[in-house]
Amino acid sequence: MIFDRPTSSELIKAVIDFLETKIKHELPAHLAFKIRITNNVLGMVQREIDQGEQLSEEVIEVMSNLINSDEATTKKLSDLIKNGDLDLTDIKLKELLVLLSKNKIAIDNPNYSTYKKLIK
Amino acid sequence: MQEDLASALSRKLLEVNIKGEVRNLEPLTGGASKEIWKFEVSKNGQSTQMILRRGSGIEGPLAIKTADEALIQKEVIKVGAPVPTILAVSKNEEDLGDAYIMNFVEGESIARKILRDEEYKKALPVLAYQCGEAIAKIHNADINNFTFLPKKPARDQLEDLYSTYQSFGQPSPVFEYAYLWLKDQDFSNLHESLVHGDFRLGNIIVNRDGLQSIIDWELAHIGNPLQDLGWFCGNSWRFGNNDRVVGGFGDLEDLLKGYNSISKFKVNKEMVKCWQVFGTFRWGVICLIQAYAHLNGAINSIEKAAIGRRVSETEIDIADLLFLGGK
Repeated sequence: MIFDRPTSSELIKAVIDFLETKIKHELPAHLAFKIRITNNVLGMVQREIDQGEQLSEEVIEVMSNLINSDEATTKKLSDLIKNGDLDLTDIKLKELLVLLSKNKIAIDNPNYSTYKKLIK
Repeated sequence: MQEDLASALSRKLLEVNIKGEVRNLEPLTGGASKEIWKFEVSKNGQSTQMILRRGSGIEGPLAIKTADEALIQKEVIKVGAPVPTILAVSKNEEDLGDAYIMNFVEGESIARKILRDEEYKKALPVLAYQCGEAIAKIHNADINNFTFLPKKPARDQLEDLYSTYQSFGQPSPVFEYAYLWLKDQDFSNLHESLVHGDFRLGNIIVNRDGLQSIIDWELAHIGNPLQDLGWFCGNSWRFGNNDRVVGGFGDLEDLLKGYNSISKFKVNKEMVKCWQVFGTFRWGVICLIQAYAHLNGAINSIEKAAIGRRVSETEIDIADLLFLGGK
């Protein structure tokens, strides 16, 4: 990347901190609630910038091994399941679906109860 | 604008012989797609608190007419289900639009407050049993009184949900798996009944003694009664308390004890599981519907944008239920 610091992740972090410390408590309750949602969204973007590539590649690698194809995408995997090309009782498929779900929620909402339970 | 609303309310109430001055109109944050207003009607120094619930015209594809919600509440109150008393109903073409007026029920509906605040500490241990009783009363109601409601057998709903999911062109391997798994389940058990469709914390009013009222009937339909139990027991509605299966506060045994004390048809724990998966898939598709209302430009909303990234919550819940022994 040719761009200077702050990185995109650091810029978003600065926006979150600004909204959280300077703006949220100035607003009436229903707008403060929207700031909370806004910050949740910005948190997702920040996590995706920081960890998205690695979490995505980890899934794609396992997926490539299972489906034995260069075209390892969620679309391809969905089609294979839908068309009955994969054994639904295969433990490897189940493990892949768990990994996929975990890595998605790690970006979207790492505080989600099921995720916290499963990574314990 | 509030003056217009107040005078429309006065006129409507006059039709049902409720006279008085409408004042202190206050918007409440309710469901995402309905307007909810609290107000007072005062006469000779006496004032009565009431609620207006009104459709916004942007309800999702699964919702019934707001006025029909009122008809349901008028019926289920007769069989002992706790619901607010309906005072007046307005049709779409009237000044108030698709709406109804009901009495105000004191208590709390916000899930996190009910789960956290000292006030409800004594209510929570009895709430699962009470909810079981109330849900059973709804399910015992005579479905011939609800001919205006859509019939939604499990298999039809499953096909609808799946094709809705597919229509967005955003493939989910977990949803594909869940769909095939669900297609394989036996949904034929139990009879057709009135189904609330969205029974959970957020849609019930609770006070220090427990359950006071069931509200928000917009997803009501005629279908399999187990749907309400499975929905209520999904992790999506446990608000972080993963180990409390019923709404984040109670145990399935207590819910079913209450349910079976009233219901004509007895339900055991094993019957609920596939409906948990069904409910979780259904919530996932509802999240998609909301997110794509934003993405397609129908509504610009940060909440609806954010909910698109909640689909992954339902995926991990399905994976937990199907592969990891989740309850």
